[in-house]
Amino acid sequence: MSQPINAEELTVGKKAAIRLTVNGKSYELEIEPSRRLVDVLRCDLDLTGTKISCGVGRCGACMVLLDGKPFNSCLTMAYQCEGMRIETIEGIENKEITNAFLEEGALQCGYCTPGMVISLQGELEKNSHPTEEELKECLTGNICRCTGYGGIQRVLKRLEEERRKQ
Amino acid sequence: MLLNSHTTTHPWKVRPDGLEKVTGQLKYLTDMKTEGCLYGKIKRSGLPHARLIEVDTSKAEALPGVHAVLTSKDIPGLNGFGIADPNQPVFCEDLIRFEGDAVAAIAAESPETAEEAASLIRIKTEPLPVISSPEEALQKNAPRLHKEGNTLHTTSYKRGETEHVLKECSIVVEDSYDTPRQMHVFMETEGGLFVPEKDGSLTVFAPTQHGYKDRMQLARILGWSEAQIRIVSSPIGGSFGGKDELNVQPYGALLAVMTGRAVKIHYSREESVRAGIKRHPMKIHMKTGADKNGRILAHEVSIISDTGAYATLGGPVLNFATEHAIGGYDIPHVEVNGKAVYTNNGISGEFRGFGGNQVIFALEGQMDRIAEKLNVDPWSIRRKNLRQVHDYGPLGQRIVPNDGPRQVWKAIQQSPLWKKPSRERDREEPWIVKGRGAALAMHGSGLGYGIPDPSGGRLQLSESGKIEAAFGFEECGQGLISSMEIMLTEAFKCSTEDTKITIGDTALVPSSGSTTASRATNMVWKALQNMKQPFKEKLYRAASALTGESKENMQTGRGGIWKKGQKEETFVCSYKDLAGGEIVSETEFHFPVTPDAVTGGHYLYGSTAVVVEVEVNRLTGSVRVTGADHAVSAGKVINPIGYLGQIEGGSIMALGFTLSEDAIMKNGSYETPNMDTYLVPTIRDVPDTQRVDAVEELAEGDNYGPRGVGEIGSVALAPAIIQAVHAATGVRISSLPLQAEELVDERELLALMSEETREEQTG
Ligand code: FES
Ligand code: FES
Repeated sequence: MSQPINAEELTVGKKAAIRLTVNGKSYELEIEPSRRLVDVLRCDLDLTGTKISCGVGRCGACMVLLDGKPFNSCLTMAYQCEGMRIETIEGIENKEITNAFLEEGALQCGYCTPGMVISLQGELEKNSHPTEEELKECLTGNICRCTGYGGIQRVLKRLEEERRKQ
Repeated sequence: MLLNSHTTTHPWKVRPDGLEKVTGQLKYLTDMKTEGCLYGKIKRSGLPHARLIEVDTSKAEALPGVHAVLTSKDIPGLNGFGIADPNQPVFCEDLIRFEGDAVAAIAAESPETAEEAASLIRIKTEPLPVISSPEEALQKNAPRLHKEGNTLHTTSYKRGETEHVLKECSIVVEDSYDTPRQMHVFMETEGGLFVPEKDGSLTVFAPTQHGYKDRMQLARILGWSEAQIRIVSSPIGGSFGGKDELNVQPYGALLAVMTGRAVKIHYSREESVRAGIKRHPMKIHMKTGADKNGRILAHEVSIISDTGAYATLGGPVLNFATEHAIGGYDIPHVEVNGKAVYTNNGISGEFRGFGGNQVIFALEGQMDRIAEKLNVDPWSIRRKNLRQVHDYGPLGQRIVPNDGPRQVWKAIQQSPLWKKPSRERDREEPWIVKGRGAALAMHGSGLGYGIPDPSGGRLQLSESGKIEAAFGFEECGQGLISSMEIMLTEAFKCSTEDTKITIGDTALVPSSGSTTASRATNMVWKALQNMKQPFKEKLYRAASALTGESKENMQTGRGGIWKKGQKEETFVCSYKDLAGGEIVSETEFHFPVTPDAVTGGHYLYGSTAVVVEVEVNRLTGSVRVTGADHAVSAGKVINPIGYLGQIEGGSIMALGFTLSEDAIMKNGSYETPNMDTYLVPTIRDVPDTQRVDAVEELAEGDNYGPRGVGEIGSVALAPAIIQAVHAATGVRISSLPLQAEELVDERELLALMSEETREEQTG
């Protein structure tokens, strides 16, 4: 692992070499320290499954997992992720969540969906038998404008029930 | 029929575009870029009202990495756009009318460079007094925002003698209602990719609800023929009316054409808020009179809408509001006057519900006030005044026989919420009071009389042997692709593998009109009705030529053509066998309109009734909607998952409209520029479940097909919530979004506490 970057050594306009591990693949990038993770993912790495909507940490469309925990990639600077394990929606394979979303009608335009899936994935990774309430809690930072959360609540019910049976 | 995966008899079908969306594989148009594309940025005035003297772009042009800086001088064609009236300039020439007005656009090698270049553009201006409300705009000495003055549109409708009759009424209720400037908050902000092609044409990848209309408008701006432009317009990360009007397209197109390079633009949320359209804030005054039995005799309405700096659909929205201010009630004496007024505020335009939401809030509020005054049940007042199946429409126009309002009036009473007490105090936390309220609405679909509303579609056997349906509609998230697939497999009894759906690309689809006004599903259904038989005939003829079978004995089915009428059906030939021949059917028609020349009057309507339960905290004034159930009459349900989703989604959007959403403007400037200050509902703010009961029966002889439900879920919730709040607290709210302060009442708690202390002391 390379040395973590010290923020004080970074100057605006000067590019720095950053090594990111995204979905198990490692990338060496020359980027300005002022770049947000969301832009590096979407623009430099063309991983556009991570969405951007508010840019201020309010909507959750840009959610990614950093070392397994959900973070808003619009509030995260790329250099801060040096040495961390980044997972984006493209790296998540979770039929349990995917099928629930599809079968419960939990998406319409789908623009919020990757962020929702990431938040749930993060919760399920740390909590194998979550209650519906806990699942709801983990989605409070994800805004969906289309569904009115009807389908999404059906997903939460289902995930809780399925996990309880296990 | 209650809609959920267990009770529905219709296919609960996973949407075909779902998997790609859940896994993040789907490329939205704002996700696209090409190798070496440039980045576009728009320089906006930042001023609500000023004379524009000069735009100095020299510094921006000199910045390394900048490829073009365009201003009004660089527009080859028309410097204007707008669906109804192209009076919004692409770039301002001499007058700035709102803070989002564009003065220049830049194409540069990186978004950062484009941004920097924008900051280097200097504009010389002379500030003018800001008109921040319609009232100010209507004053005699107010500066004129457009050459025709400050009034965009007026409506007036009159039947009978309201003034005289109101005097004779046993009771009259009168109130003024205010509604907020709601934002669409589609999650995908505006943007797209603009690609100049080798043959000199231009391909536009940018979300819109009406690709053909964009093409027409862009051709006008570029001074090109429409055929030189191809618009790819789906999938869309949400629109709700907000992307029907051009947004980034003029800038992207001009920059791409001028630089000869592909240009990508994607708005930040702040830019989207400042530049984009909103729901019209309206001030509605209503005076309604009834006899002592609750029969409404007269209804006087005046509406003023703040349409902002430019026209867009301010006129049609006002027409819609005028019609829906009367609603599904039979009232003998009516007068409605409306005015849409220009101001220096952000632009108002089309938004789900199209002006219905605002006036239905007021109209239903009147119903509840009348009931209160007469001390009778508000639902019975409605019943007494509801239209009968053969009554005329709100504006006295003939409409398709419609019993929707009475159907939903009845159906909603099946909701478990209905049986709950109208007011209840929490035992443990006595400062929390629950209340129940209900409201109903009849809502027009299609654009209404006087606006061209053509539609059409095409069926063809594709080269790979699939039955391909091509329509000029867009997938905004509503599930159109799903609904089309269901209708297609039903029409041909084939499997989904036999079908292909093509939408959202002017190079591949015929013009079908706009994906708006809850019309797409209805129009696809109608087109299939027209094309199904002729298309089958063509298939049978080809199959007969191929196999020698007589075509009278054929039917379409899974995988191909089958023989019919025998015990054991036998396969004649596959669709693939028939591919390669010219098997095509096309249709063109107009959305059904009333035969009476009543501008804006609708012919087809859906209806809805909603019952809501709220919890009001009397200490903080906060309101939680704990239940909201809907009954909807819109004809046959095609796609239950989509239908349910539209109602649930529309409903929660209306919940925001009622409780928290307001794009506040001060002196022509947005004070709520992002989602940290403009609050849309989260999963914590919504009821756990919403029941949706679809009433599918249409009036006898109605064969106009299934009506769309894109809007109807959002139109009647506000008055139901407000009535529930009234039931809980006794407070009548007439201004949205509701302000918590109005509901705080510490006296109640003090009374309770002292009761308790008394009990403690005595006990
Ligand atoms: S884009 Fe990051 S939270 Fe909205
Ligand atoms: S599905 Fe469109 S925002 Fe959630």
